Amino acid sequence: VTWRYDEWRTVHELPLGVIHRAEVGQRVRAGDVIANGATYGSNMRIAAARRLGVAPHDLERVMRVAIGAEVEKGAIIARTGRRFARAVSAPIDGRIVHLRADGDLEIATIVDRWTVRATLDGMVIASDDSEITVDGFAWGLQGVAAYGPDAVGELTLAVDVASGELQPSRVDVRHRDRILIGGGRSAAESIARAHACGAAAVAAGAVPASGLRVLFGDDTGAHPRPVRGDAPTVLCLLGFGNAPLPAQLFEPLVELAGTRAAIHTASARLFVFAPRDRVKPAAQAPSLALVNDWSSLRPLEGAVTLGEETLFASEIAARAVVTAQGPIPAANVRSIG
Amino acid sequence: LTIATTTGPRATVDVAHEASSIRIGPRTDGADLAVTYGEPLRLALLVGRDPLNIAAAHAAALGANAEVVVSLGTAGRASLIDRATALRDARPHAALVIADKGDTSAIVELVEALRMGCASRPPSVFVSAEDKARVRIAASVGTMRFEALPSPTTAAGREAIVTRLRALRRGAGDVVLRDEAIEASARALATSSGRTTLVLDVSGASTSLVYATPTGASIAAHSRLGVGPGADRVVAHAGLDRVRRWIPRPIDAPALLERVFNRTRWPDAVATSPLTLALEMSLAREAVAHLIRDARRAGMDVNAMRSAALVVAAGDLARFPRPAQTALVVIDALGTEGRQLIARELADALVVQGAIATRSVAADVTGTIENIALAMTVAPKRSTTVTVTDANGTMAERVARGALFLMPTTGGASVMVTGSVDRQDVGPLALGVIVDARGRPLELPQRDAERVPVIARWYSALAALPVDGGAS
Repeated sequence: VTWRYDEWRTVHELPLGVIHRAEVGQRVRAGDVIANGATYGSNMRIAAARRLGVAPHDLERVMRVAIGAEVEKGAIIARTGRRFARAVSAPIDGRIVHLRADGDLEIATIVDRWTVRATLDGMVIASDDSEITVDGFAWGLQGVAAYGPDAVGELTLAVDVASGELQPSRVDVRHRDRILIGGGRSAAESIARAHACGAAAVAAGAVPASGLRVLFGDDTGAHPRPVRGDAPTVLCLLGFGNAPLPAQLFEPLVELAGTRAAIHTASARLFVFAPRDRVKPAAQAPSLALVNDWSSLRPLEGAVTLGEETLFASEIAARAVVTAQGPIPAANVRSIG
Repeated sequence: LTIATTTGPRATVDVAHEASSIRIGPRTDGADLAVTYGEPLRLALLVGRDPLNIAAAHAAALGANAEVVVSLGTAGRASLIDRATALRDARPHAALVIADKGDTSAIVELVEALRMGCASRPPSVFVSAEDKARVRIAASVGTMRFEALPSPTTAAGREAIVTRLRALRRGAGDVVLRDEAIEASARALATSSGRTTLVLDVSGASTSLVYATPTGASIAAHSRLGVGPGADRVVAHAGLDRVRRWIPRPIDAPALLERVFNRTRWPDAVATSPLTLALEMSLAREAVAHLIRDARRAGMDVNAMRSAALVVAAGDLARFPRPAQTALVVIDALGTEGRQLIARELADALVVQGAIATRSVAADVTGTIENIALAMTVAPKRSTTVTVTDANGTMAERVARGALFLMPTTGGASVMVTGSVDRQDVGPLALGVIVDARGRPLELPQRDAERVPVIARWYSALAALPVDGGAS
């Protein structure tokens, strides 16, 4: 969870119905459309091979349009013979989506379109109908979990201090297409307001878990599933509940404010497209502790020492990190470097 | 596999925990075996409408600890597009296709949807069907990797499917999967003790129920529910309220959810307070209870599991600071029946011997468990009394309906219940005899104000929760 300028890799899973996708070697910029496609409605089955009197494996040879092509009602899909021709035509406007093993074709109506955008400035290194992989250099910050669709926008600070909470009153329509940095906590109301105002995303130290359920549904967990469509984008940088950002994370965010950035939700990463020398990451990685009965996270600042085995109130004995606020099990402290 | 030590040949085994691995054995330079959770396996089930086949498919998934990400049947009226979309979104690593007799066309429909949705990243396809149907299915599978397997309704067929699916979870490494090790240890325990044995393993990222008989038969169900990285799955599957209902003090749902999510993303976190310990115990109860529900739906003999003579807790469930905590969770989650000896694993020892048992006959489960209590589930009548005789003498307790109490023992003891001529002799127990007259199934009051005192009383009856205070 620390700042790093590096070559990153993002994998974008594609839904069913790919029409166009970026080819391997194509250079892309964050926000560029790397794939688009169709959302299918109802489908119809056409007994193509049987109607033409050809073997199923010979059907593609006599097809006038390829599998995946969009056709209008009445268009000839396949044809055999010359003088005594037999033909199969499209019964509806739609797309030929599938060739069955028995030689039947499936044609489906198109009810919507989708696009997938890059979240890195870089190059497509792998591309198929299932996913596209992009490699590129950027400043990156690994978060714990991200929810919603990918987002691209200008990085904007929406709090004054690292421990601050993103207040709904600080969000307005001027934040359209921006990625808001929400300090130690961003509640569901602030995220919903940011989304309503057109903000691209909210990134914060922590977001209340119950708020995430309000925004993304009751089946939302700590391992989110990809979401498409109109939903807010949220990046939890450190955890859930409340987690003030350590200075080592917050100060580069201050310096990078105003820069183009992106959130890739599948990998829970924030990418900022700034030159390598724009920020100087801290020499020492911050340490983070899971505290308050696991309800929040706290950066450890100041001197701490690794102490002896301590018996905690739960009667579990474990090696402890001794802080001014008392001992914390060493397993509940981690360096985020 | 083994090296000679002063106490005989012993293998060194690395046992994976949530984010770390613990080496157990004499060697320091490396390990003979490694026990891991294995790769998560996303499984699609494409099954006909025969309830036997549906149950068998789910049983195979439970046996292989595969996560069923999508289950499509031939009974539904979903279109090819709907099915293909569901399969694409689920992104399965493997698909298990089970065809009903005489329903080939319908299952071929599902396979066509699989090819349409997943052909660009094809899963491994395992097909159980009659010869004629298999030919048609093979044609629809196209270029996807395809393997024919026997029917999962037979033990041999299920074993074959589980073996194939486990191979996918194992990846390229030569590792022993934790669930394999637990199964082997259950069989070894049942054989050595001569009793029907249930091993109940709850770890950070998995839960296992393995029932074994002295004759070598076994039933196994595994899931990726757990008290660590699998904790949010417990909440997602069982519901937050079911987890919350076991906490012996008032806590609101949002506050609890925060803790579950943070625990999920913080491997090997230590429970510092009674509250977090109670949360781990609640998660363990619901992980087990949910797996039992899944096992019942998959047609497994849950009643046999519940009434096993020896119940052994393993993993994190065995590592609670007090043996009473382990015993209480086992009794609550399992809904134990009759008289059962409850034991717990000592420091990964059972998993280690189970791992060795998968590769060698040299496994020795002696000294891998500690007997903690004899659980007696009774439905008391007016004059029911439990009498325990041990080294300190004889004590008798009347049993009231709804009671839960502990009768501590020293050394070996014999136990009798009025109205029964059976006398049970047990060896030394860490706790003693737990008498449970709360009734089955356990029913908890809905309202917090009524439920919390009941739960607190149960904890208190077994001295299962420390008093709040001290370092946190």
